Amino acid sequence: MTAEVLKYTLEQVEALELAPGAEHENLEGWVPALASDEELRQALNKALDYRGDVTLTLKSGERIEAFIFNCHSGPTLAESFLQYFTPSAPEKRKLSYPEIARLEFSGKDRAAGKHWEAWVKAYNEKKAAGEKNIALVPEALE
Amino acid sequence: MAIPISQMWTVATYVMKKRLGGNKRYPLVLMLEPLFRCNLACAGCGKVQYPPHILKKQLSPEECFAAVEECGAPMVSLPGGEPLLHPRIVEIVNGLVERKKYVYLCTNALELKRRLPEFTPSKYLTFSVHLDGQREHHDFSVCREGGYDIAIEGIKEAVKRGFRVTTNATFFDGTDPNGVRGFFDEVMDMGVEGIVLSPGYSYDKAPDQNRFMGRARVRRLFRAILSNRKPTWKFNMSPLFLEFLMGDRKYECTPWGSPAYNIFGWQRPCYLLQEGYAESFKELLETTKWEEYGVASGNPKCANCMVSCGYEPSAVMDGFGSLKGFWGMIRGTFSLYPDRHALNLLSQPAPHGPAMLVQIAEPAHSFEETHV
Repeated sequence: MTAEVLKYTLEQVEALELAPGAEHENLEGWVPALASDEELRQALNKALDYRGDVTLTLKSGERIEAFIFNCHSGPTLAESFLQYFTPSAPEKRKLSYPEIARLEFSGKDRAAGKHWEAWVKAYNEKKAAGEKNIALVPEALE
Repeated sequence: MAIPISQMWTVATYVMKKRLGGNKRYPLVLMLEPLFRCNLACAGCGKVQYPPHILKKQLSPEECFAAVEECGAPMVSLPGGEPLLHPRIVEIVNGLVERKKYVYLCTNALELKRRLPEFTPSKYLTFSVHLDGQREHHDFSVCREGGYDIAIEGIKEAVKRGFRVTTNATFFDGTDPNGVRGFFDEVMDMGVEGIVLSPGYSYDKAPDQNRFMGRARVRRLFRAILSNRKPTWKFNMSPLFLEFLMGDRKYECTPWGSPAYNIFGWQRPCYLLQEGYAESFKELLETTKWEEYGVASGNPKCANCMVSCGYEPSAVMDGFGSLKGFWGMIRGTFSLYPDRHALNLLSQPAPHGPAMLVQIAEPAHSFEETHV
């Protein structure tokens, strides 16, 4: 069972009026130290949760830009692997943990910086200025 | 009754067969996400924040059909992203209908009116249109003025063409229950088959992390909304799930009841949490540590969740799994749930304006906070 499990009792849960949200960690640009097996596992768990691409440098010297969507953490590093997509290939790829030499959170964090308050503020300002058809639009994919 | 008898019969016989076969974990609805791309940028959404190369990916029809056959659930929900942006969505829907799956195509309806001529009405196909409330509320919720009017045009055209149409709404803290009840009147007047609703989930990728409703507040809101119903309101949901939202029933989460499949694979453990992926449905069922999820586990990620994808399967399995549950379902289908405490809740001051908007057992009224 993971460490964060068993934080609340059932009674506490049922009585919650407002539930605490998540703290958004600013990981963009971070290069974690990977000195130990545990540091590598922890860094890859954060990469799994990261909504941007990372750059993996392998012990072979190869560099891979990747969106990591799955981490299988086995009893040993040799039994552990991650799965990822790259921007240039259509298929899922797999990488064994021991092959990784360096990890960088190189891509833009797509979950960062779009706060509800910012939308409310922008909406109110545009409304006051008499603008019509106020909207947030999805980011371009190119 | 909003759900057609043929669909209820299909689900009922499916549940009974599974129970008689001794299956402990079986799916009811496959959440099949053919893509994550969307044409809205809702500030409350935590589903679609991905790099462009991920947003450009989509499941092929063949991948969709393989997932549906592997899973075996009698119902398939097509959320996303916006499914109508998928270039082969018609082929996907037609293939699912051919397989006699009850398909709920979840759409914001911005493209619905334009795409309708490509689809064929069927008892197996329902357009489930995302509408979060009346015009101002919905537009603010999806961060697009005019979105409501476009969706309404799509709904009316779909109804006119003979399609099954439901609306689906997600409610957040700050929702005005009187406004929601007015919204129910509006959508029923449009001729929709029924209403689908759920409290929002506190996605950790959602922009607003400050005002997620806890379970006590969810129950109070839904007691206010769903008690003292008008006879014209129809819900395309299990009545037992609605009673759960109102605080009349206690259920545990059934995360395997609505498994999710998308471009990454079979999502662990459920449609809402993203803790890795399995390569097959069998692997998902057999290797997920289910005991770590659901409110009884104490997992904080599940603490304030009362969302339909986890709890409606529990209600459906209860309803078709015992005589007591079945009777509760029949009674709930025809009851208007008169409740003077809920009337008091409705007379309390409404939340102020759209800036307040955020995500939002046995019928002995188990929870005190719903009594005022």
